[in-house]
Amino acid sequence: MALLKREEWQGFVRDVDWSYRYVDDEAVYPEWHSGTGKVPREAWQAWEESYKVSYPEYVATQREKEAAAYAVKAALQRSATWDGLTEGWKSATKMHFGGVALAEFTGVLAELKMARFGLAGAWRNMAVFGQLDELRHAAITTFFGHEFIAKDPQYDWTQKTFHTNNWVAIALRNLFDAMMTASNVVDIALQLPLVFETGFTNLQFVALAADALAAGDVNFANMISSIQTDEARHSQQGGPTLEILVEHDPVRAQWVVDKAFWGSARALSALTGPAMDYYTPLEHRKQSYREFMEEWIIDQFVRTVEQYGLKKPWYWDEFLRGLDIWHHGLHMGLWFWRPTIWWRPMAAVSPDERAWLVEKYPNWEKIYGDKWDVIIDNVNSNNIEATLPETLPWLCSTCHLPACNATQSRDGTWRVRDVQLTYDGRIYHFCTNGCRQIFWKDRDNVNHETLIDRFLAGQIQPMDVGGILGYMGLTPDVMGDDPDYEAWTKDYAGRPAEGIASAVQS
Amino acid sequence: MTAEPGAEDLAPQLVPLNAIFATDFVQILVPVTTANTMREVAAAVAYHVEGKRVRALPYDKVVIYHGERLPAEMTVAAAGIKPLDHITVEYDTPEGS
Repeated sequence: MALLKREEWQGFVRDVDWSYRYVDDEAVYPEWHSGTGKVPREAWQAWEESYKVSYPEYVATQREKEAAAYAVKAALQRSATWDGLTEGWKSATKMHFGGVALAEFTGVLAELKMARFGLAGAWRNMAVFGQLDELRHAAITTFFGHEFIAKDPQYDWTQKTFHTNNWVAIALRNLFDAMMTASNVVDIALQLPLVFETGFTNLQFVALAADALAAGDVNFANMISSIQTDEARHSQQGGPTLEILVEHDPVRAQWVVDKAFWGSARALSALTGPAMDYYTPLEHRKQSYREFMEEWIIDQFVRTVEQYGLKKPWYWDEFLRGLDIWHHGLHMGLWFWRPTIWWRPMAAVSPDERAWLVEKYPNWEKIYGDKWDVIIDNVNSNNIEATLPETLPWLCSTCHLPACNATQSRDGTWRVRDVQLTYDGRIYHFCTNGCRQIFWKDRDNVNHETLIDRFLAGQIQPMDVGGILGYMGLTPDVMGDDPDYEAWTKDYAGRPAEGIASAVQS
Repeated sequence: MTAEPGAEDLAPQLVPLNAIFATDFVQILVPVTTANTMREVAAAVAYHVEGKRVRALPYDKVVIYHGERLPAEMTVAAAGIKPLDHITVEYDTPEGS
């Protein structure tokens, strides 16, 4: 007997919704998990993925991917490739392992939620594959990072990061919990597959893979490329969900998409921006972070929202201006507060590197050059102490990242300005107007306390730098430090230096 | 009947502030007390930035709160600066410099 073609049986086995006789629909698909809102229940039956796959096909393909990824890893394990990588590139991978490994596991939870509470059989079916994907991503990322612990204890943060109260971990937990754990499945499908996986994982997985290959890290490129091949399939849960939501509740669709895009852009500006524009060796940089954002995120995002009848987000101009600002400020913050991170950030501001930055970001010297020059002069005066923090940067009450976004005055000068609001008798500070607006609209939802909130509430003891580092789980063997001060300061040695810390204190 | 104690009679209270020093790139947490003068507040903020990220200039520093320049001898309590308030500290540069 000939086998049926897939299209002849797939609908039958996939669309398994039936009418309940013993319970009502709300008991099976409660609103707080399923989130149909203003969308009529029956409208979800139109949910249809464009790229179909059966379970045997899925397993066969995934098996091949796994075998290929691990074969490359096994071959490279015997080589000395890792030893030849630059410290800057290693830092980019440490950031990735720590920031991503367990976020992938949160992705498992989000996909499982859609597999259970998704409002159409086709959707739930696709989410089952999605959760298997995410489980593979959590496993492969943890395993690949784990290999290097014996060589460098900072790689222990592959698994450890999200179990600590490190400020980067708090910022990412805040984003991913809102996007994946706390939302109903309709909002998850818009936030995770549509916004984050269709757009931003391209940046981290495709663009960074190119930098990895250029930097000679074939193993890392191999791992993230293997992961990315799954995204194209399960990320398609976003489109059909958005299509149905837009038809019945375009205001909600616009808000959820806008908010997820903003939160993703803020997080990636901390995670990917410094890796691309500073940690990747100059000769291996393919494009600037801004160029990658324009190519991989902005064009595609605008096409997607317009295709579904949505508008560009209300904050669009502020976001575009931020492409020249956000990640440069965060890079300086990560570097200055380097004892608080689990990698070794390269300052990467030698004359050649600065020339590249100015070519890519014409205002860079005007906004950041003077601050780096003071830091350089302190390093060249052997006053490293003056380049280390003695207080906390202020952390935004929405994105939990340092409030370090300069804006231009009418007279042309660049200044960091306070963005605040008072709610329920308390003042909150934000890094941007976008973060302020999101906080205001979501103000009655539960929000994580920032590290500043925790510090001021007395949760961190003793209330000093040592207490803060201990609270964040940092031990002397993993605390970040610049791997090579001389590399970016030597060309400035011997120049006259006025107004630096040693001069002030003498 | 005794009068209610004024702010100056109370033991100094901790006032954590959100502060920016001049052209620095980031807002920072700076704890001061209700008894500190603006001169002391400016110095406390400058301590973390001046000569470390912003080149030191040979001018006095002034605290700006709600757009107003506050006198150097005014205390935090007298200025009405509360915990979590935002201040900026600027160099009091001469005209035309």
